[in-house]
Amino acid sequence: MKYENLPWLILFLPLLSVAVITLFTLRSKTVSSLISIGAVVTGFVMTLLFINANGFQFSGETSANWLSIGGLQIDFGLKLDALSMMMLLVVTGVGGAIHIYSFGYMHDDESMARFFAFLSLFTFSMLGIVLANNFLMMFIFWELVGVSSYLLIGFWFEKPSAGDAAKKAFVTNRLGDFGFLFGILMVWGLLGSLSFSALQTTLAANPALLGASATLAGLLIFCGAMGKSAQFPLHVWLPDAMEGPTPVSALIHAATMVAAGVYMLCRTLFLFNSESLHLISYIGGFTALLAALMAVQQNDIKRIIAYSTLSQLGYMVMTVGLNGPTPAMFHLTTHAFFKALLFLSAGSVIVGMHHEQDIWQMGNLRKKMPITFLTFTIGTLALCGVPPFSGFYSKDAILTQALAQKSYLLFGVGVFVAALTTFYTFRLFFIVFFGKEKSKAASHAHESPLVMTLPLIALAVFSFAGGFIGITNNYGSQFVNHHEALSMAQQFTEPFNNLFPMACGLGAVAVGLFLAYSLYNNAAADPLPTKLGGLATLMKNKFYFDEFYEATFIRAHDFLAAVADWLDRWILEGAIIGAIRGGTDLSGRALRLAQTGNLQTYAFLFVLGVALLLYFVLGK
Amino acid sequence: MSILTYIAGWPLLAALALVVVPRNYRVIIRAIAVLATLISAVLAVKMFAQFVPGANGFQFEQQIPWVESLGISYHVGVDGLNVGLILMGAIVAFAAALCSWEIQTREKEFYILLLLMTGGILGAFASLDLFFFYFLHELALVPTFIMIGVWGRGEKKNYATFQITLYLSIGALIALIGLIALYLQSGANTFDIPKIIEHAKTNPLSLNAQNFIFPLLLFGFGILVSLWPFHSWAPLGYGVAPSPTAMLHAGVLKKFGLYGLIRIALPLLPQATQSWAHVIAWLCVGNILYVGWVAMRQKDLNLLIGNSSVAHMGFIFLGIASLNLIGVTGAVLIMVAHGFLAALTFALSGYIYKQTGTLQISELGGLCRKLPFIGTALLMAAMAGCGLPGFANFVGEATVFFGSWKAFPTVTVIALWGALVIGGIYMTRAIRNILHGPLPEKWNSLVDASNVWRKLPYALLIVSLLVFGFIPKLLTEKINPDAQKIVALATGNLVSATAPGASPLNFVAQNK
Repeated sequence: MKYENLPWLILFLPLLSVAVITLFTLRSKTVSSLISIGAVVTGFVMTLLFINANGFQFSGETSANWLSIGGLQIDFGLKLDALSMMMLLVVTGVGGAIHIYSFGYMHDDESMARFFAFLSLFTFSMLGIVLANNFLMMFIFWELVGVSSYLLIGFWFEKPSAGDAAKKAFVTNRLGDFGFLFGILMVWGLLGSLSFSALQTTLAANPALLGASATLAGLLIFCGAMGKSAQFPLHVWLPDAMEGPTPVSALIHAATMVAAGVYMLCRTLFLFNSESLHLISYIGGFTALLAALMAVQQNDIKRIIAYSTLSQLGYMVMTVGLNGPTPAMFHLTTHAFFKALLFLSAGSVIVGMHHEQDIWQMGNLRKKMPITFLTFTIGTLALCGVPPFSGFYSKDAILTQALAQKSYLLFGVGVFVAALTTFYTFRLFFIVFFGKEKSKAASHAHESPLVMTLPLIALAVFSFAGGFIGITNNYGSQFVNHHEALSMAQQFTEPFNNLFPMACGLGAVAVGLFLAYSLYNNAAADPLPTKLGGLATLMKNKFYFDEFYEATFIRAHDFLAAVADWLDRWILEGAIIGAIRGGTDLSGRALRLAQTGNLQTYAFLFVLGVALLLYFVLGK
Repeated sequence: MSILTYIAGWPLLAALALVVVPRNYRVIIRAIAVLATLISAVLAVKMFAQFVPGANGFQFEQQIPWVESLGISYHVGVDGLNVGLILMGAIVAFAAALCSWEIQTREKEFYILLLLMTGGILGAFASLDLFFFYFLHELALVPTFIMIGVWGRGEKKNYATFQITLYLSIGALIALIGLIALYLQSGANTFDIPKIIEHAKTNPLSLNAQNFIFPLLLFGFGILVSLWPFHSWAPLGYGVAPSPTAMLHAGVLKKFGLYGLIRIALPLLPQATQSWAHVIAWLCVGNILYVGWVAMRQKDLNLLIGNSSVAHMGFIFLGIASLNLIGVTGAVLIMVAHGFLAALTFALSGYIYKQTGTLQISELGGLCRKLPFIGTALLMAAMAGCGLPGFANFVGEATVFFGSWKAFPTVTVIALWGALVIGGIYMTRAIRNILHGPLPEKWNSLVDASNVWRKLPYALLIVSLLVFGFIPKLLTEKINPDAQKIVALATGNLVSATAPGASPLNFVAQNK
């Protein structure tokens, strides 16, 4: 491996930035943000250097022993192959753009230094997940991204809703992590190692080693992805996470962290048997559908994009389940570009609108914010899958994969969700950027400064071109044997090799666009609730999942807590203390009977004692 | 003279010196106490650094015969099991002395008692002689009762003092009976622990004797460690205790019972240990799950962290019950980690109490705005408490889970739920209600810890947690060889105790 030290530097620079900011520069906003931005941008440059020196075909590990107790050998190791190198590029590249954008977005916040410290902590943790070469290290960073996300969602902690959202995200993720660690223990117990490459070798040599537990172990590991990537039934935290500052939504809750689940599945795909993959694909498909339906009736600009993130994550998980890691990672990458772009553009809108997020207060913003309008349009087209934008290619790869696996139901779900996606995205698009200004703020909106628009433009370029710049080549070299690299022209025309899925995908876009245009162009209010009736209410209220969990999971734990507390107070403490005190008290009372103060009693006891003594001494 | 004698001796000597210092020399009294604990902490760091992992036998050993007819001698020494505990104890004691500025009545007596506690418990951990082991623990324990009774706070003070005294005295008494029985039954005619163990290798205790003594030690020590269902003294006692006392007791003193089980019961009573292991494992569920639920319900910050601390004891017992190298190593790791953590949380709650005069969670809120340093520290403590990687507690808990997985899979899964989910719920709830949210107007006048001396104890404890969380090898490479010996004795397996999954690993190695 050339430049073996570079990956370590890439990983630890952001941690260094956290330490420096919290210990020394908390008072200076500018210095702190420059340190944090410097750490991630340097990481990006070093990633490029490393890839340039080693090439994408490279695969290697570098590690140091971290913990060694008998049969428990845990390395702190970095695994470098096409998968992790591509993710490194995404995390440091997209992350870098978002860091720079944040410099503008957070400029007036008094806690900007703290914000950048948290952002660096997140970058460190996310890079750790990407580079981890064993399960425990991945779990460690898995927890750390969880806590960075917690800190950043609750960044404006004085707002009760932000505090609540942070708590909810943390606990929901912990539910997934419970399954994840459970699965890790199970795999370790059966296979005796935690290292990905050792596990893969062991399983390849003896596939039956997991035995009857194979499906269960796979699903438990998947629980981790379910929490982080917000898959049904643990999807509830992601929309609430939009309480965090918008760059956080872009970086953590769209481009990188929520994709960690998909990445983890691809990394450990060798562990899953066909039964568990089957179930995973259906959970992914269901999440994609459910979230797309919810998105249709939301009115908060960030929440709509958040639901679309959920839905797209569902796509990716479904594709992994369909045994298609390459299309899944392809979509993950393009999604990172265009979703970060959409969120950051939305952030630009929010700043321009003086922190108004209700889309029904906006309107006609294309005139006031031309650059944002342009980038948002590119993001929208990419998300919907309009050729030749990046989303078109990755979504087409997903649909092709579903057909190739003969999973017609999931193919149908995929096409339907594509139509829904186009519908709700263009609903947003028309309401925000076209029609009349629906509030005063909309008429006074202004374009954002250059430090915010430049990252937008950079992301827009990749959202446009991401489909044919070789991303699939790189992932393919990891997952497909004898993969042949395609030239750019071949990639450009790749969808035409399978006309049916492409036609379905394009048809879905056309239908969604037509419906959105006819309903929402120049609309002053949402016509859908009257047309759909009860279904619209259900969608608007997210199918009442929050209420359901509140009534079951939280209630159950609170109830058990109340019971335990009552038992503790009245039975355990009362009874034990009561028994000891009562016993002492009783013996005291009994002994007091002997202490009468009556001389005759004492004399009697004395004689009795003497008599007993004499009996024992002489009687024997 | 062994460095251990100095580590435990300086605080005791300082206690003696304080007796003659006039009570109105407050600054001098405080300076002496801080200095003595600082010296002992520095010496402990030095000792920890000089410790050679895996060296045969005990290090820094010193033995002075005392009552030869009974076989009592002053015998101190460290191996991997207590080297970390002594380091932790000395650092916590220094932090506790620093935090004692909150005591403003009868300082002289308070500092004398604090130093007695410190010297006593450090001495007990260093002792390799049953008599001194027990005696020095009592020397540390009795001041606890007085401190809670005199300097305690709140309405429940008297009841709590009564309960904690009753419980811990009975626990200590039961353990004493067990230790005396052990002395008599071992037939070695010595109080010297290494000699008894050596003797037992050739003349093991009879099964009857083991079955009689083990429960006495388990429940005697168990009461001292708040093993479920004998835990109710702990949250209540810590709830009213002045924070330096709670720091030292919950952090350091409480580990005595666990240390005693590992050091004495496991190697000397192997058959009884094995037959009781599953009972211990299921009692852990009481600690982890049941007390976890109780913690969820608490409305007072100190009761919450007190219960959470009881819940953490469950992980340690689980590690011990798994009776393998990984589990026992993990147990010792958590003992050290929890010591720092418990001290940190009680120190922080003490600061908040001093500022606000209440620990009722509903009264607090939004404190992060006015107390950024204390708030951040509390956030870190809460995260460490629910097992966040980066802090030493995570390493310990994860290690215990790996250790107990093969022996008790069901209990392990329950423990996972307790650690990840229940711990996560009550800790984030506490943060939400104490640190997050709008700041009530009445707390606008709160003052954050601003000068270096005020910040030092918290920083010191956090740094300790982080150091061992990032580089657990510092501890595990020391614990490992000696835990191996204990496990070998406890399982009667004198060959190295193999861990689950060791064979497939070899298999992989062969295939490469």
